[in-house]
Amino acid sequence: MIDQMLAASPNLMNTFLFFTIAAAFLMVILGFVTYAILAERKVLGFMQMRVGPNRVGGRWGLLQTVADVLKLLIKEDTIPKLADRPLFILAPVLAFTPAFLVLVVIPFSENLKFADLGIGLLYYIAISGITTIGILTAGWASNNKYALLGGMRSAAQMISYEIPLVMSVIGVVLLTGSLNLNEIVAAQENWAFIFIQPVAFIIFLIASIAELNRTPFDLPEAESELVAGYHVEFSGFRWAFFMLAEYVYLFAMASLTTVLFLGGWQPIPFLGFIPGIVWFALKFILIVFIMIWIRGTLPRLRADQLMSFGWKVLLPLALANIFLTAIIKELINSF
Amino acid sequence: MLGFTKGLKYTLKNLTKEKVTYNYPDVPMEMPDRFRGIQKFYPEKCIVCNQCANICPTDCITLTGKKHPDPDKKGKIIDTYDINFEICILCDLCTEVCPTEAIIMTNNFELAEYSRDELFKDLQWLDENDTNKRKENKT
Repeated sequence: MIDQMLAASPNLMNTFLFFTIAAAFLMVILGFVTYAILAERKVLGFMQMRVGPNRVGGRWGLLQTVADVLKLLIKEDTIPKLADRPLFILAPVLAFTPAFLVLVVIPFSENLKFADLGIGLLYYIAISGITTIGILTAGWASNNKYALLGGMRSAAQMISYEIPLVMSVIGVVLLTGSLNLNEIVAAQENWAFIFIQPVAFIIFLIASIAELNRTPFDLPEAESELVAGYHVEFSGFRWAFFMLAEYVYLFAMASLTTVLFLGGWQPIPFLGFIPGIVWFALKFILIVFIMIWIRGTLPRLRADQLMSFGWKVLLPLALANIFLTAIIKELINSF
Repeated sequence: MLGFTKGLKYTLKNLTKEKVTYNYPDVPMEMPDRFRGIQKFYPEKCIVCNQCANICPTDCITLTGKKHPDPDKKGKIIDTYDINFEICILCDLCTEVCPTEAIIMTNNFELAEYSRDELFKDLQWLDENDTNKRKENKT
């Protein structure tokens, strides 16, 4: 259906339709973010032998995040007097928009996909890089030394970890021979890439956690030891936008991991009667759970450990993985 | 590497463990029996000896007695008995010193009020505060 719409001639009706679909999808994402935050707090609570939110919205605290967001939205909008006003306003938008844009290439099931880009994976990685600019802009525009340092630190981290992230994916691309995410899913019909490319999967998982600025790589925020980082001066809905960007990226990154390494909507053998979207959701939830689990377990890395781990461990490993994959593929092809 | 997996295993196990937190405002807290909570006062036992008011380190107890209504009997009975919980430190001395155990400790501890005036508890309030009494004082 989407393919036909993309090929259709541009008119007002189609524009309106696209807008409606995007808005509906945004609502789904917001719903995910709401309950991902709740799930995170609940799981972390259970891991720390407490119950987590349980006051607002019944015993399970189902409306806790809704109440939190409502509070953020009605908060006073403060912009520091000496801040760079246009950039300060632009920064949350710059950080959030790419997070939503990257979702367009993710195939959620056989039929539920938005754009079938030939360079889907490249698109994802290129667009997600823009968020770094948003964060750096936020740090700069705040006119606050802590915010600037925090922005620099997170930019350094995100750029450093983007490289192993991309490198680890190249193994998958080599085996598939395509950057199209649909074809990557189709190539995993028999074996998911997690079994063929386990090293790439581990590198990808670690680098994606670092990209998402989550514990143990949450130095840009470091709630318990720093003054917040790049978003110190932000409050109310501008701050909410940074949080939103972070959790939309969680959604996007977990989706991408599912697509690249867990076989997307492909079912486990003999269970093909369950629809693809359910498989996708299950694998997706597993990845999100693993991320929360890691957050609940590991302590934060030091800044120098973080950098040397990215450059001295992950990058060489990823490169070695590419070479090995290429050599093995050539050997198999030649026989 | 091993420590890493050990940690992950530990947190995973914690998921199903019993919670260490209390569900306090929903479920009342059980205090141990020697807890020094808000006093309970028995007007009929009081002999107006004034020892509690004398020993009180913060002078928060004020009491007045009156003559026994039965003219044949000696002594006094209690007329007013007030404890000011703005300054009471719940030190347990008044209940220790009381010769007839007319004032005892309970396990109740919730004293939050919207006005300071409400912290001034009178004889009737202290008489009605008769839940969770200290077990060794039970008569």
